[in-house]
Amino acid sequence: MDNGREQNETFIVPIGPQHPALKEPGHFEFSVDGEIVQSATARLGYAHRGIEKATEERTWVQSQYILERVCGICSHIHAVAYCQGVETLAGVEISPKAMAIRALAAELERIHSHMLWLGVAAHEAGFDTLFMYTWRDRETVMDLLEGLSGNRVNYSVNLLGGVKFDVSPELKEAILKGVDFLEERNKHYLDVVTGDEAFLRRTRGIGVMSDEEAERLGAVGPTARASGVARDVRIQAPYAAYDIFPVELVIETDGDLLARFVVRIRELFESFRLIREIVNNLPEGDLTVRMPRKVKAGETVSRVEAPRGELFYFIRSTGQEMADRVKVRTPTLCNWGSVLTTVIGHQLADVPMILVGIDPCFSCNDRMIRLRSRDGDRSWTWEDLRRYGIEYYR
Amino acid sequence: MSTLVDLFTLLIFPGGLMLGIAALAYEWVNRKLVARLQNRIGPRWFQPAADFVKLLAKEEVLPEQVVAGLFYMLPIIAVAGVFTAALSVPMFGAQPASSYPGDLVVTLYLLGLPTMCLGLAGSNTLGRFSLVGATRALTQFFSYEAPFMMAMLGPALVAQSWSSTEIVAHAGGRWLLLSQPIGFVVAMIGLLGKLEMPPFDAPEAETEIVAGALTEYSGRGLALFHLAKDAELVIGLALIAALYLGGGSTWWMFLLKTLVLLLFLAGIETLVTRLRIEQTVGLWWRYVSMLVLVQWVVTIVWEGLLL
Amino acid sequence: MKLATMFEDIVASIVHRPVTQQYPAERRAMPDGVRGMLTWDKEKCVGCGLCAKDCPSGALEFFVLDRKEKKFVMHYLVDQCLFCGQCAASCRQGAISLANEEWELAALESEPFEHFYGHAEDVSTVVAQRSHSSA
Repeated sequence: MDNGREQNETFIVPIGPQHPALKEPGHFEFSVDGEIVQSATARLGYAHRGIEKATEERTWVQSQYILERVCGICSHIHAVAYCQGVETLAGVEISPKAMAIRALAAELERIHSHMLWLGVAAHEAGFDTLFMYTWRDRETVMDLLEGLSGNRVNYSVNLLGGVKFDVSPELKEAILKGVDFLEERNKHYLDVVTGDEAFLRRTRGIGVMSDEEAERLGAVGPTARASGVARDVRIQAPYAAYDIFPVELVIETDGDLLARFVVRIRELFESFRLIREIVNNLPEGDLTVRMPRKVKAGETVSRVEAPRGELFYFIRSTGQEMADRVKVRTPTLCNWGSVLTTVIGHQLADVPMILVGIDPCFSCNDRMIRLRSRDGDRSWTWEDLRRYGIEYYR
Repeated sequence: MSTLVDLFTLLIFPGGLMLGIAALAYEWVNRKLVARLQNRIGPRWFQPAADFVKLLAKEEVLPEQVVAGLFYMLPIIAVAGVFTAALSVPMFGAQPASSYPGDLVVTLYLLGLPTMCLGLAGSNTLGRFSLVGATRALTQFFSYEAPFMMAMLGPALVAQSWSSTEIVAHAGGRWLLLSQPIGFVVAMIGLLGKLEMPPFDAPEAETEIVAGALTEYSGRGLALFHLAKDAELVIGLALIAALYLGGGSTWWMFLLKTLVLLLFLAGIETLVTRLRIEQTVGLWWRYVSMLVLVQWVVTIVWEGLLL
Repeated sequence: MKLATMFEDIVASIVHRPVTQQYPAERRAMPDGVRGMLTWDKEKCVGCGLCAKDCPSGALEFFVLDRKEKKFVMHYLVDQCLFCGQCAASCRQGAISLANEEWELAALESEPFEHFYGHAEDVSTVVAQRSHSSA
């Protein structure tokens, strides 16, 4: 195990699969020269659970709960994408009230996800105080979610055909109060993030990605919006209640880590405004609509805006009680290219910050993707996979 | 008889056992203060002691391809260095065990021993994180040591002596903090750098290099390194209290002064984010050393020492 | 150039109590809709069995001994339950509800986690059937 004892030999620093910088397992290898990163590789798949396969053996109703647990932080939006897709296939239209409550829960989830991210990013920079305070204030939105749905994580607000829970007048008061408190606190955090000189030195000019690069690397979500790419599914392809309650685009052009912070905090303000509007103007309607047990045959694509970017579901039905194929493409998978490219040339100390800047969610991430190389399509059968696994560990 | 007294001073009070207990107590106070400033509860009083005892009870894992002798001896040398440094520092209201002309310089040099042992330990274990951590620890050592020493030697200029007891006696209860404020500030920040506390904790940056130079240490070695660091905290605070705050003639004055200093340290710890290693070096060599030089010039001119 | 931007927060924390909730010594009141353990109202049940069919984790098993006499037994495994609420939503009679105070459900053995709901004689019939079939 000679570790760079010769001159000028680059030295590989592994981050993961178990590392305090990562909240979930993933393996990265950065070859550094002194403290400057020369190249980076990633290996994912540690959190693969076979969820897409599991949906093929469960009924439409049961699959929703499996898909909700793809990710803990953005669980509701996965359920929304799935339910939307299945409702489109079945030709069912849900009531405006159910759509509004879906959007309300989605925005509350966005708040909780962004505040969680703010704390984690501060922790990676070594600013533990900001971490503790943002997570303390995040408890407010967790209490609101608990009041709405009865659970702090995996809210299960959706049903095929609508939602389960309604917004009572007490809950409405609690939501308005909570949102006021959170808005005040987040204004303070925006000042801290953009004003604190030591923190700015860790985030300004780090991980710069221009808008052409962002488009080329396929970045989505706040990571792309921080580089000036104007893409937000809620605006370009409105779903749930976003056509009645429109969202404004939050965009920055600097493309560095500071811009990503600013975009996410400004998105929080947008969410606060939207929640107030929804709660004060909740449309009338039933909570649920009757859904058939067997969904008509067909294929559909369902796109939603998760807190991390564009979430994409492909659902295919053959008229049975069980799904034929559900394919999930999560936003974090698209953003890895930006990390591996922008990290080159930076110090080792910036690497965790750039990693966390895309808001990585590894458990969302682990899917099978099919790569088409120039010399044809190489796909593997079950036998190929098993054999590869056995050989790898020998 | 005097051998017994010496042994008592060395092993029980104010060195040895008393220092060990004080080290754990001060670590608890620091963690509790930081927690309270972050609006949370913090650990209970026996936490550092429990950590220490638990680590001593655990198995010590020897990594491959390390020099075993160095691996086991370095924590012991670090602790020995720190405890020896305590012999010349006035602590707990008692006179130090041995004071002689120049003991301040010797103390400061001995206080640098834990950092060097840390750097050596990291390079010895050859893990990737340990090597990066050791490099950073030694880089930081080179950047804060000179200004810190100059800040600590500022009062020595005034007292015209290199012995800490004589400096305290010369000050006679006067607070040199008021006449050398810049030196005081530099000494406090320097203590943060020496102890690798935030904002200067790049050598043990948890989210970047796991635990830095101590990544491969476990069990007894880790317990001793932590004890050395905590004892350094006590001695550092005692030194600053003695040099800048007029010393502690009784044990409760000593306790009060050092705890107030610890409150300031905890405040700085919570307020600032971690600096990257090259930002640390830049800060120290560009700004802090200029400040302390200015302080020295002002002191020399003011006290008319050029005459 | 601002340093120490979080100064007011820190000073405020010195004055206020820590926000940590010292559970289990102090317990907060739970909101109304907390999804705890399942409860079944056997008077309202009509025996459709949709709850068991729709359960994503297989925590519910429904036995119909006699539909007209309304002899139903519900077998509920608490440790398999996800507390998702799909059963409560699928039941058109509103016989199942999850909203209650029982959410502290840790136990050291597995017996407390298995529940049979129903009239006592129906339950013993089902239990006898199950042990007979597994014997």
